[in-house]
Amino acid sequence: MAVAFFVLYQLSVGEISRSYQQQIQLITQQQRLFNQQMNEDEYLLQFTSQAKQVNNLVLAYENAHETYGNLSRLPTSLATCPAQTTFFVDSANDLRFYIGCITTLTHGRLLVAFDDENLYFLQTQFLRAGILALLLTLGLGLLSGRYLSTQLLSRIKNINDTAKVIQSGDLGARVTVSHRKDEFDLLANYINRMLNQLEDSFHAVSGVTDAIAHDLRTPLGRLRLRLESHLNTLDEAPINESQLQEMLEELDHILTTFSAMLELSRLEHKQTDSHFDTVNINQIAEDVIDLIQPLTQDKQQTLSFIATAQPHIKGDKTLIFRAMFNTLENACKYTGSGGAIELITTTSGFIVKDNGPGIPDEFKDKALQRLFRLESSRTSPGYGLGFPLIKAIAHFHQGKLELQDNHPGLQVDVTLNTRHQGNGLIGTETSD
Amino acid sequence: MRILVVEDDIVTQGFIKKGLTEQGYQVDVASDGQDALFQALEGDYQLIILDRMLPKLDGMTVLNTLRSAQKTLPVLILSALDSVDERVKGLREGGDDYLVKPFAFAELLARVEILIRRQPMAAVQQSTLLQVSDLKMDLLTRQVWRAGREISLQPKEFQILRYLMEHPKQVVTRTLLFEAVWDYDFDPQTNVIDVHVARLRKKVETDDLPPILETIRGVGYRLVEKATS
Repeated sequence: MAVAFFVLYQLSVGEISRSYQQQIQLITQQQRLFNQQMNEDEYLLQFTSQAKQVNNLVLAYENAHETYGNLSRLPTSLATCPAQTTFFVDSANDLRFYIGCITTLTHGRLLVAFDDENLYFLQTQFLRAGILALLLTLGLGLLSGRYLSTQLLSRIKNINDTAKVIQSGDLGARVTVSHRKDEFDLLANYINRMLNQLEDSFHAVSGVTDAIAHDLRTPLGRLRLRLESHLNTLDEAPINESQLQEMLEELDHILTTFSAMLELSRLEHKQTDSHFDTVNINQIAEDVIDLIQPLTQDKQQTLSFIATAQPHIKGDKTLIFRAMFNTLENACKYTGSGGAIELITTTSGFIVKDNGPGIPDEFKDKALQRLFRLESSRTSPGYGLGFPLIKAIAHFHQGKLELQDNHPGLQVDVTLNTRHQGNGLIGTETSD
Repeated sequence: MRILVVEDDIVTQGFIKKGLTEQGYQVDVASDGQDALFQALEGDYQLIILDRMLPKLDGMTVLNTLRSAQKTLPVLILSALDSVDERVKGLREGGDDYLVKPFAFAELLARVEILIRRQPMAAVQQSTLLQVSDLKMDLLTRQVWRAGREISLQPKEFQILRYLMEHPKQVVTRTLLFEAVWDYDFDPQTNVIDVHVARLRKKVETDDLPPILETIRGVGYRLVEKATS
């Protein structure tokens, strides 16, 4: 800013001042020449007319007798050209500044000076304009800076306010996104997306907590009533071993449901493991068959197994075992005596078919929800967590669970890895 | 047999101590990690039952410190953290067994006995012939005899019986059997193991011979040393 002013000053005021000085020099040289070439009278004539013609300049010539030109007399203490001196001139009660110098000629002394008042006025004007400009720029800068910072602050405040609202418990609050599409909006979008995810998982967790609380309340209430009734009738009928055993079993059932639900929720919200092992699904199927066979044999059910030719898949061995065991156990439980159950492993999962009662179409979706049990199955033991767990395991493996009609019966398709779709059914192995 | 029980919940600690004392064990208790570490390093214990979440020093730190100090005694970890990852972590960092809270005392006792008797059993493992009462098993030829009469068993039945014979007179819980025979780390929560044992029992207990395989209701099974007639 200061440099700009200096340059401007040099180009305007400085230039004028220099041009005045040049003019003084020129006129001085000219007058000296005239003075040398003319006699005194001719020179005086020339000088008087010249002095009348010049503007802004003061010319004065003094010889032994008189002073000619624009001044009544020459100041005494003026420097000899080219050095210049400032002096006052009193003309018609107006005191003015002049800058000039004196040259000694043959018969007298010559003064050439210019009116510094104009230059001074220009300088003052320039300075005034400069300061004004400076102040204006400063003011504008401050104003725009303040405007910008309030703008930025208000947008940061927007984020802070949202954070405060969320902190106070309202998870639905979101950062306002403007239509400017700048970095702040990008940030706001990221924050909102993160909040959406957090809110979803929070609701999921609280949903699960509610579900667990709700489902455990009934059996806990039952147990409490039973204990209370025993306590009330303790005098007439002391509690015996089988009653205690029953209550212990009831409590175990509650604990089992609790663990199962907890595990299910954990599985549902667990990120898919990218470091799955390669497992042999046929081997797992054989282990499952080893475990379940006595159950099917007790019900005179036929359990056949069709193995895939490409049994190696990526997955969690224990979880696949559980999904397969649960599916087969369900089939075994709901298929009547003498029924037929078929286990088919594929390159991407497994299929279990039975010829039992199946699940009506309108309940197929519900069967996959936790704690849902068909009216007809309420009498058999279970937690209503079988299919949800299988589904969660399938999802965990980026796959899916589908229930279909086997005409008659149920067909359960468990896909464990959608990236390896296919159905390479080769080789048949039938047990029992 | 001295056992150190490290548990910060005084009621649980009291029940474990009472139960184990009734079984003839000498039991010392510690309620925080620092005490536990001090007692475990100073005392001569055959087993430590170690809770994971403890004041002052957590269970896993206690276990790590013990293992770094070359203490090789078996450690049974108790924990309310039941995910597979936590179990794996507990076992990988030097625990010998992992029991999730809440647990049945019978399950704890069964596991304690298996851990305590494990070392001498390892020596017995050298033998390829197992015998409990009049029940004999040849591990090489995979033959089984009861009172001199050969019994034909399915592979899984053989494995179940082998595990029971390796732990005679001890209560073996369903979960223990499942883990040992199927080698999958979870609780199947069904009666399927009972069905397997029932089939095994049908084969080893015939009408003319006294029962040898006891069912402990709500807990598991035990092979009795001396069959009563």
